[in-house]
Amino acid sequence: MTTVSLGRFLLKRAVQGVFVIWGVVTVVFLLRFITPGDPVTFIAPLDASQELRRRIAAELGLNRPIYVQYLDYLAGLLQGDMGYSYISNTEASARVFARLPATVELAVAATVVAVALSIPLGVVSATRRHEPVDYGATLFSLVGISTPNFWLGIMLVLLLAVQFGLFPTSQRGTGFLPAVAGTVGQFDPGLVVRLAVELRGEALLAYLGKLPLVTWLAHITLPAVTLGTYFTALITRLTRSGMLDELGKSYIRASRAKGLPESLVRYKHALRNTLAPVITVVGLQLGTLIGGAVITEAVFAWPGLGTELIRAINLRDWPLIQGSLIVIGAGFVVVNTLVDALQAYLDPRVVAD
Amino acid sequence: MPEEDSSLNRRSFVKLAGGAAASVALAGCGGDGGDTPTDAGGEDGGDGMGDGDDTPTPTATETDDSMGDGTDTETATDEPDMGFPVTITQGQPPSTLDPHNHRETPTDSVVLHAYEGVLTREPTGEVVEKLATGFERVEPGLVRFEVREDVRFHNGDDLTPRDIAYSINRIVDGDVGIESPQNDQLAGVTGASVVDGERAVEVESDGLNPVVFSLFASYCDVMQRSWVQADDTEPATETNGTGPFQLSSYEEGVEVVMERFEDYWREPADVTELTFLAAGEPGTRVNQLLEGETDVIVNVQPQEISRLSDADNARVAAEASTRIIYNGMRYDVEPFSDPDFRRAMNYAVDLDSIIENVLQTFGDPTGQPTLEGFVGHNPDVDPYEHDPARAEELVSESGFEGAELELHTPNGRYLRDFEIAQAVVEQVDSLSNVSCEINQRDFGSLAGELTDGDITTSPPLYLIGWGNSTFDASQTVIPLLTSDGAVSSYSNEEVDSMMEQAQNEGDREERESILQELNATLHDQAPWIFLNRQYSVYGASNRVEWTPRADERIDAYAMSPAE
Repeated sequence: MTTVSLGRFLLKRAVQGVFVIWGVVTVVFLLRFITPGDPVTFIAPLDASQELRRRIAAELGLNRPIYVQYLDYLAGLLQGDMGYSYISNTEASARVFARLPATVELAVAATVVAVALSIPLGVVSATRRHEPVDYGATLFSLVGISTPNFWLGIMLVLLLAVQFGLFPTSQRGTGFLPAVAGTVGQFDPGLVVRLAVELRGEALLAYLGKLPLVTWLAHITLPAVTLGTYFTALITRLTRSGMLDELGKSYIRASRAKGLPESLVRYKHALRNTLAPVITVVGLQLGTLIGGAVITEAVFAWPGLGTELIRAINLRDWPLIQGSLIVIGAGFVVVNTLVDALQAYLDPRVVAD
Repeated sequence: MPEEDSSLNRRSFVKLAGGAAASVALAGCGGDGGDTPTDAGGEDGGDGMGDGDDTPTPTATETDDSMGDGTDTETATDEPDMGFPVTITQGQPPSTLDPHNHRETPTDSVVLHAYEGVLTREPTGEVVEKLATGFERVEPGLVRFEVREDVRFHNGDDLTPRDIAYSINRIVDGDVGIESPQNDQLAGVTGASVVDGERAVEVESDGLNPVVFSLFASYCDVMQRSWVQADDTEPATETNGTGPFQLSSYEEGVEVVMERFEDYWREPADVTELTFLAAGEPGTRVNQLLEGETDVIVNVQPQEISRLSDADNARVAAEASTRIIYNGMRYDVEPFSDPDFRRAMNYAVDLDSIIENVLQTFGDPTGQPTLEGFVGHNPDVDPYEHDPARAEELVSESGFEGAELELHTPNGRYLRDFEIAQAVVEQVDSLSNVSCEINQRDFGSLAGELTDGDITTSPPLYLIGWGNSTFDASQTVIPLLTSDGAVSSYSNEEVDSMMEQAQNEGDREERESILQELNATLHDQAPWIFLNRQYSVYGASNRVEWTPRADERIDAYAMSPAE
């Protein structure tokens, strides 16, 4: 594979991505015109005069032809302007981008949970095929894939937060980066060592529990598990079947015949080859999680794009609905493009195809 | 409530241990090897809420103190005073902190802690002075407010009459600052000015404006003119009022934190820190309350009531609101053009059953458009009785036997609106000579048809709700039941004439008498199927002494620690 051919491949993908985003923008824009109800109804008070309604429509530009509104909207988007939300009294782009980090943080955390659980589980399941652990992992995968995440979220909250008080029920607390900064600022290793040496477990737990990073972790655990469960089950199955496939191949037999230790055969050779398709799916799922976090965010009052989108839909806050959908769509396209690039780098046959 | 000293209680310990387990799991994933400081966990100790049935237990803080000075943890009994922090979770976050640039209750609930009006209402609805020390009608169309002395804004500046006049003009005059969406809330008011040489403000109205004091008791928060007009001020994200709380931090769409204003002109509030959160899901709000993460939650759904009633640390707090739910019937189309048929519909509905079974008693029956406690309510008018036989008889007399009706209703806009509509449809349909179906509608399109100024686009029969926080009959009857009303589907010369007479009557008692007569007429004419007065149903922590208000305002100044 030459650098030129890789570059051409990536350029092609990027151009495709731009057209897909344009398509998303167009569909999202048109949604407003095929949805029943007039946005002025939601902005104006119920007993507002017709004059006030006309004035609001004029201020929002709703009385212009659709194509003018569309071109105007596209021009605004190119400058990062998603319009002004009169209902939320804010620039839509400012609100959407303020919510994005919380959603990305949740999607990444769900991915981390999923990858950390699923790959070891898939490997163990494959290497101990037809043993109880394999049956357990297979059952977990089946249940994980079949369970709707809104139900799982509600059950986790009722059981682990409300019943046992192990986690907060909802909200985000501080974000990850402020939590890291806060923890670095106030963490005292000397104190931790002293408490540990003096065997003062409760005091140690109390001290650690106050650290911002731990507070952040307590808030994100249940939403991340909720969002990541389906994904965990999926990757577990993928890893298991991939491992079984690889372990049956002749190069594995050759490795074993050569006298390589079994751990090396499994983890260096078989697992390594299994991970290529897993990485692709992980990347694609990350994009899906950004959009799919809507329900999980609602259950946990997580202040991300999903919560914002639901609020905006309820209030028919069009600039925010459009902005949220476009960012979710664009996020998916960008992640897909990055995964394509990674795949092309790892497997030159992709470029050749 | 059990006191906690240096030791952790079992519940806190379990929380910390649970967090630790999660930390280990994630730390392991990240390759930290599990030896990071995240090897522990716990609740959000920062807010000092702990569990709802505990005292504020800043367990880690205790440890901090004891660690900081190198003494034993057992010395932590001198726990720092955490004050009385209160958290309120609403369904929506405030859309702005500018008190004049919104029309929503969730925003009102927040900004009213930082800003105050010239008048206000007692929880019972009675109009009383706030930033004014007196108010009077000087002549028809002109009223005067005496301005209170020794009131300071949060920035330390004194309140002046000029600030009050400016605030009124900022709402009613589009040339002063903003085009306020509240200008129709001060209906009829045309402007305000400072009385030369006196600490007073005069407010002019177009016409008599008999409800002007009611309007000022509900609307118009006072802002400082010089602060608003300063170049570096952002009223949408900052506050500077005279209220009992001043802004500490604001994360748009997420959280508002306020602290007690120590220079408040009345006694400082008992609440030391006030936090507003938002959770759109009703179940999430209840979970927060049960877990002690918040102290007051709004809009508890009837199906969640038992979870709160059974809890040790929380309770249900309900109050009749200022919103009436009704079925409008278009007077200009058959069969609703006949008063007998409209009355028949009222007799067909079993309101008591709806309130008991659908609303689980969180509702009051109505028989007139004006709610009890409002100016103009007629105490002699009772709700229609449930009498299906009489209903069938009236339908026969009207000549519209076999009428096929369709009730248009939103779903989720008002408390159990769709379920109420289902019950109404079932009861009307059970009459032998009328059939009825339900039509679930998107609220936007339904409201659009009702407010487009063209009665012919409105559905003949629909369910809608109307809130009136002025506590005066006129603000319900004029928009909903007069010929020119913005949301009216009814026209009756007698009603129009009585309403006009009331609006031009300066004598309060005489006016009230006219409005009472008007309500009796409307009961007889039955332009609506009179349904229920909606309740505001809250959940409240037992650590907070608080009673909800009819006007849906959540007043943290009235909160105190429970005994």
